Amino acid sequence: MLRYLLSQSASLLITMLLVIAMVFFGMRLLPGDPAQIRAGLDATPQQVESTRRALGLDRPLAGQFVAYLGGLLQGDLGRSWRQNQPVTVIIASRLPVTLLLAGCAYLLSLLLGFGLGILAGSLPGSGWDRLVRGYTTVGLSFPEFWIAFLLILVFSVNLGWFPLLGYPADAPLPTRLMHLALPALTLALPRSAQLARLTRALLIGERTADYVRTARSKGLSVLAVTRHITVNTLPGTFPLAALELGGLLTGVIIAEQVFSLPGLGQLLLGAIGARDYAIVQGITLLAILVFTAVNWLADLAQAAADPRIRYS
Amino acid sequence: MRRLPWLGIGLLLLMALAAALGPELWSQDAYRQNYARLYAAPSPENPLGTDNLGRDVLARVLLGGRISLGIALAATLGALALGLVGGLVSGGRGSVADLVLTRLSDALLAFPGFLLVLLVVVILGNGALQTIAALAISGTPLFFRLTRGYARSILATEYVTAAAALGATRARILPRHVLPNLFGPLLVQAASVCAAFLLVEASLSFLGLGVAPPTPTWGNVLQDARAMLTRQPWAALGPGLVLGITALGLQLVSDGLRDRFDPRAR
Repeated sequence: MLRYLLSQSASLLITMLLVIAMVFFGMRLLPGDPAQIRAGLDATPQQVESTRRALGLDRPLAGQFVAYLGGLLQGDLGRSWRQNQPVTVIIASRLPVTLLLAGCAYLLSLLLGFGLGILAGSLPGSGWDRLVRGYTTVGLSFPEFWIAFLLILVFSVNLGWFPLLGYPADAPLPTRLMHLALPALTLALPRSAQLARLTRALLIGERTADYVRTARSKGLSVLAVTRHITVNTLPGTFPLAALELGGLLTGVIIAEQVFSLPGLGQLLLGAIGARDYAIVQGITLLAILVFTAVNWLADLAQAAADPRIRYS
Repeated sequence: MRRLPWLGIGLLLLMALAAALGPELWSQDAYRQNYARLYAAPSPENPLGTDNLGRDVLARVLLGGRISLGIALAATLGALALGLVGGLVSGGRGSVADLVLTRLSDALLAFPGFLLVLLVVVILGNGALQTIAALAISGTPLFFRLTRGYARSILATEYVTAAAALGATRARILPRHVLPNLFGPLLVQAASVCAAFLLVEASLSFLGLGVAPPTPTWGNVLQDARAMLTRQPWAALGPGLVLGITALGLQLVSDGLRDRFDPRAR
């Protein structure tokens, strides 16, 4: 296991380096001269040159990359050319909304996904099963922003249960949660559909196992048998649950745009529009880091929970 | 259950037909602005109403379907071709090519959700070709891993060993013994990837990073409808349903193919 962990970490490190290089050099392919942008359009060539030196952009690309890597190791994501602040500070100021939104959405998608999946998987062929199967197919067929449109129309406009748009950052938590309810539901619906689909399939596959027949024949109740099956199959959903979290990292961009929430997604879109590449790069790397770590943890958790999986 | 894939095929044929013939048959122009009829409700003249510039929404949905479906299809084929070739070249043999391609694919898969598509579009710029390229790049690792995995297990089978013992070269084994076995799984994957691409393309357009307006795509039509969502909801409902039904058709076909090619997954 230790050897597996070591070799796995080494390969993860190589992948991460490759990704960082791709993002770094990809950003350099973008049109526009950052030094010119930073110095202003009416700057003299001398001013542009001195800005270029100050930003370190006069050095060879490879040197810039090494310096960037060195900064990353110290938790330095660079400075925003537009706001003249460290990227980490800017990201940290936007993080709370996005974290709360992603957390709520994830919790909702797990509850809905596992709940519906277990319901359908333990009663295959029933009316419930059909309903859930319909939900899992339809739920994956519509873009998130359109689902958001529907939720806004039904719950904000017609029923008036939830506020329409915006986010009062200084309001008490219950008020803020009311503002995040529809965005979170928007993100949770398609993800829960995918999770429910897999949970159902795993549960149905497990029903034919010998121990299930034994449990049934000795008279265990349906509920108890379902519990045994569920405990045995849930680790199989960990990898997908991790992937879903990754999808959430970009899903929040859509949700924040539809509902006008001042989070990381809005920051990213604004930075793309303003060609503020340090921020784009910083958010991208953060998302990739979180995603990679979560995937890795999910693999470990699956191995820890399921003794049949042994890495070597 | 067996009827659902046929429903999916029916839906897809309907959408393909509408996208192919619709813009020719429907008399209204998708670009003509009519400031006397902004935000008009559905009527015989404009069955889906008009948008923020008084353009006929039905005409835009029909022409947009041609563009959106074309982008999703082209990107799927591109990803399929790249992934298939890469997967066959690597073959999971632990060669240098295999190592490099696997690393590259892992790196691309490290980008969560549609972040990779977003970044590639930002680098390449707005436009149909750029969107196709970005989608194709993001989809390639999926087909690559599938192909590589299957190629690896098929190359280890006894009939391949027997063929090799009889003197079959790699150039003969790959197309004759490996490729036919890949057909089913790749088709299943392609249908669901195409559905996902449709949604991602719409999301890109919604964020203003897809094909630039005034060219209609389903995403652009929905983006135009957003500003008047609370007062003219039909402008968003119709095009969204068309997009969703198309994606649904692709899902149903993908599920049907999966049942057909892999009876265990039922």
